[in-house]
Amino acid sequence: MINIKNVHKHFGKLHVLKGINADIAEKEVVVVIGPSGSGKSTLLRCINYLEEPTEGEIIVDGIPLTNEANINKVREEVGMVFQRFNLFPHKSVLENIILAPMTVRKTPKSEAVKIAQDLLVKVGLADKEHAYPEQLSGGQQQRVAIARALAMKPKIMLFDEPTSALDPEMVKEVLDVMKSLAHEGMTMAIVTHEMGFAREVGDRVLFMDEGRLVEEGTPEEIFSHAKEDRTKSFLSKIL
Amino acid sequence: MNFDFDLIVRSFPLLLVGAGVTVQITAFSVSLGLLIGMFVGIARLSNTWIIKALAAVYVDFIRGTPLLVQIFLIYFALPIIVGQRIDPFIAAITACSINSGAYVAEIFRGGIQSIDKGQMEAGRSLGMTWGQTMRHIILPQAFKRIIPPLGNEFIAMMKDSSLVSVIGFEELTRRGQLIIARTYGSFEIWLSVAFIYLIMTFTISRLVDYLERRYKIDDKH
Ligand SMILES: Nc1ncnc2c1ncn2[C@@H]1O[C@H](COP(=O)(O)OP(=O)(O)O)[C@@H](O)[C@H]1O
Ligand SMILES: [Mg+2]
Repeated sequence: MINIKNVHKHFGKLHVLKGINADIAEKEVVVVIGPSGSGKSTLLRCINYLEEPTEGEIIVDGIPLTNEANINKVREEVGMVFQRFNLFPHKSVLENIILAPMTVRKTPKSEAVKIAQDLLVKVGLADKEHAYPEQLSGGQQQRVAIARALAMKPKIMLFDEPTSALDPEMVKEVLDVMKSLAHEGMTMAIVTHEMGFAREVGDRVLFMDEGRLVEEGTPEEIFSHAKEDRTKSFLSKIL
Repeated sequence: MNFDFDLIVRSFPLLLVGAGVTVQITAFSVSLGLLIGMFVGIARLSNTWIIKALAAVYVDFIRGTPLLVQIFLIYFALPIIVGQRIDPFIAAITACSINSGAYVAEIFRGGIQSIDKGQMEAGRSLGMTWGQTMRHIILPQAFKRIIPPLGNEFIAMMKDSSLVSVIGFEELTRRGQLIIARTYGSFEIWLSVAFIYLIMTFTISRLVDYLERRYKIDDKH
């Protein structure tokens, strides 16, 4: 589904990604872990081209990211959820969700609204369609953001620390939504520090450090039998 | 010196006609300036260097030269270029809108830059193009924030439009001059002219305050 081949990324002199190779299969849930600044967000953002790799190639669903038209096509297939939600504050919950289907997919409004309402039921916010983002708690906002991404019917979902900006009591409601997505067979790439969640839901865990993919394996292999010292030392600090 | 109140009363209707023309020229110039300014403001944030450079040259040129000189340039230079005399009204509006456009462009640029980068990223990540995100997400939010500076620009334009009196265009200031030439009542007439400008600018600033408050309340829901 996603093929990442020898991807490098520089920000000026800063070499942030140093030759990443990874594949994500259809319906696979891949969890990316690693210390802050190791390049996890940058890698995720390269997948939908919010960042342009300086070198290497990323192929999403068979579409190489080569020109503007392809990039927009890929973005239609790849949903992204951000740490800070990034809801549109001037639009109601419903408007947040129907905007992209209507402008990008040209879905008729009545149909887009129907899809949005079904998604709000799914994320447990059926009664909030007319609310505005600032009236919602962080957990609710993040669930709306997930619904907004899902409204485009993406084949892949990217999550960049979706619970890091949340108060502890709201983490579970967001993780539960993600869990149910995983059970439905969504292909997902998730950057998170929620190790319990990674263990339970992840098919594969990638450990990144200083712009390199240091180690990968099943949650069991990584969390209980890590081979690399850097992985062990990171896990000992976080677990 | 005796103060001729009767002169004020007699001149007022004529001055009001001039004020009407001032409102007209200001409204035209600010509307056109808003349009120019929006596109130029966006152009200044473009990734294409030539578009960005052209926009910067325009803004720098306008902001770096006096409006009075721009008015003369348009009024005397344009006829040479187009090969025919141009109407003072057209010249006045052209000069004022081009001038206003540069200042409005800077206001738009600041407004757009003040919107969190995550908004553009969210729009793009949903598959919307840069233009669609600008139109549906960024500009509506930026617009609310720039209402106060736009209001200031409106007021500044209204006052600066008095400069087009130099090309004989009969707005409020020019009307005053003409009446004084006939009646020699400099003090009375300039006082009346100032008073009328004050009423007009005060009205606009109240209007802007109202809009600002309404949008603030809107924001909260
Ligand atoms: N737009 C940017 N410009 C310059 N440096 C950046 C930019 N984005 C990220 N970086 C730098 O790249 C490195 C990796 O960042 P990031 O991918 O966000 O790491 P992580 O998500 O693992 O914490 C950091 O040193 C960060 O400061
Ligand atoms: Mg990050």
